[in-house]
Amino acid sequence: MAISSLHATTSLHSPCTTNTSFRQNQVIFFTTRSSRRGSTRHGGARTFQVSCSVDKPVVIGLAADSGCGKSTFMRRLTSVFGGAAEPPKGGNPDSNTLISDTTTVICLDDYHSLDRTGRKEKGVTALDPRANDFDLMYEQVKAIKEGKAIEKPIYNHVTGLLDPPELIQPPKIFVIEGLHPMFDERVRDLLDFSIYLDISDEVKFAWKIQRDMAERGHSLESIKASIEARKPDFDAFIDPQKQYADAVIEVLPTQLIPDDNEGKVLRVKLIMKEGVKNFNPVYLFDEGSSITWVPCGRKLTCSYPGIKFAYGPDTYFGNEVSVLEMDGQFDRLDELIYVESHLSNLSTKFYGEVTQQMLKHADFPGSNNGTGLFQTIIGLKIRDLYEQIIAERAGAPTEAAKV
Amino acid sequence: TPPELAQKVSESIKQAEETCADDPEGGECAAAWDEVEELSAAASHARDRKKDSDPLEEYCKDNPETDECRTYED
Repeated sequence: MAISSLHATTSLHSPCTTNTSFRQNQVIFFTTRSSRRGSTRHGGARTFQVSCSVDKPVVIGLAADSGCGKSTFMRRLTSVFGGAAEPPKGGNPDSNTLISDTTTVICLDDYHSLDRTGRKEKGVTALDPRANDFDLMYEQVKAIKEGKAIEKPIYNHVTGLLDPPELIQPPKIFVIEGLHPMFDERVRDLLDFSIYLDISDEVKFAWKIQRDMAERGHSLESIKASIEARKPDFDAFIDPQKQYADAVIEVLPTQLIPDDNEGKVLRVKLIMKEGVKNFNPVYLFDEGSSITWVPCGRKLTCSYPGIKFAYGPDTYFGNEVSVLEMDGQFDRLDELIYVESHLSNLSTKFYGEVTQQMLKHADFPGSNNGTGLFQTIIGLKIRDLYEQIIAERAGAPTEAAKV
Repeated sequence: TPPELAQKVSESIKQAEETCADDPEGGECAAAWDEVEELSAAASHARDRKKDSDPLEEYCKDNPETDECRTYED
């Protein structure tokens, strides 16, 4: 733990050097606002009291309808940063939170204002804003962003009750995952980057069948009924958030197999907003142009149904975007590395990093198609964004002090 | 699926079917199917967790110094 005084030009950031296995959580010291305000300015030299604390976190929002818990996207994201994400040790076993060395992921269901019984009484779904406490969500995300710890409620998905809160320390990267990360404007403004996972109806149906058919009590009809009953609220409250996202991953049925309804081969679009700070969209061959590319041919042999890429500029809800699209499946390692070598602006640190990340989690769903590929790429983009933000802050300590 | 959760899922489905039979357009019907979705997702996560967990790995996470958990790097 170091208290150092710095001049305006030196880096504000000496991250807490933790010893070996110490979790960052355990050596955290957070600075209160008053000590920051105590910095005095005399003439040219400025001094700051800085205690060994976590830098103010970078906050990422992920909108997804898959419920919380170890969602594949989150596991890929935390893996890019290194380390495995796990529930907080020694706490509520039904906690939805995941913590790794660098990243903490919380589930926004924890901000339900109505528990399962409450929602049943009022006849309101979890998708409805009336079931969620956006004021608390905003307060707590704001606190974390300012480097303060929070006592966050826990929504227990097994019992359907709100359990006593758990203490969450500000991490380097704070991810809020759930149905409404971008619903409230105040929360939206706190996000450094936001992602929306947009699953088309046909694919959603196919996935839910795979998930639930083995479940006693479920049938094709009940799965269908469940999706349809939730659709009005989903369309009214969740879907509109995608216009605010910096990146949308849209999952559609494949166009390579006529009348495919198994949802196994997928067409996935990565829709990236232009002009987002610290985010340079991935491109194929020539940035800003339009391309269709089938990598399978003389140099690369693919098995049925093959792989097809497209890239080009577009508009999405009035925003300028670049869209990278992949239809089909990877069958072999060399297909993956071949594709990676032709993509640009991937934010990899070495050649083959995307392939390596995909292989590391070959057992995860989507590892052989665009969902895994784009989730991995977004993970690398977020790492890049994080490093850029940290570098910026280091270059401007005076700005940081004003907060 | 852990039996307690599996039970909850099948009960919630029955419940939803009954509620919606009376009033298919109402909030109660949507809330009932939403509960089915929530429980189905929870059941799926529970199955995944069970799949991933290996008793030895779990033990070694908390007790890396014991004989069974020693690792050697060449």
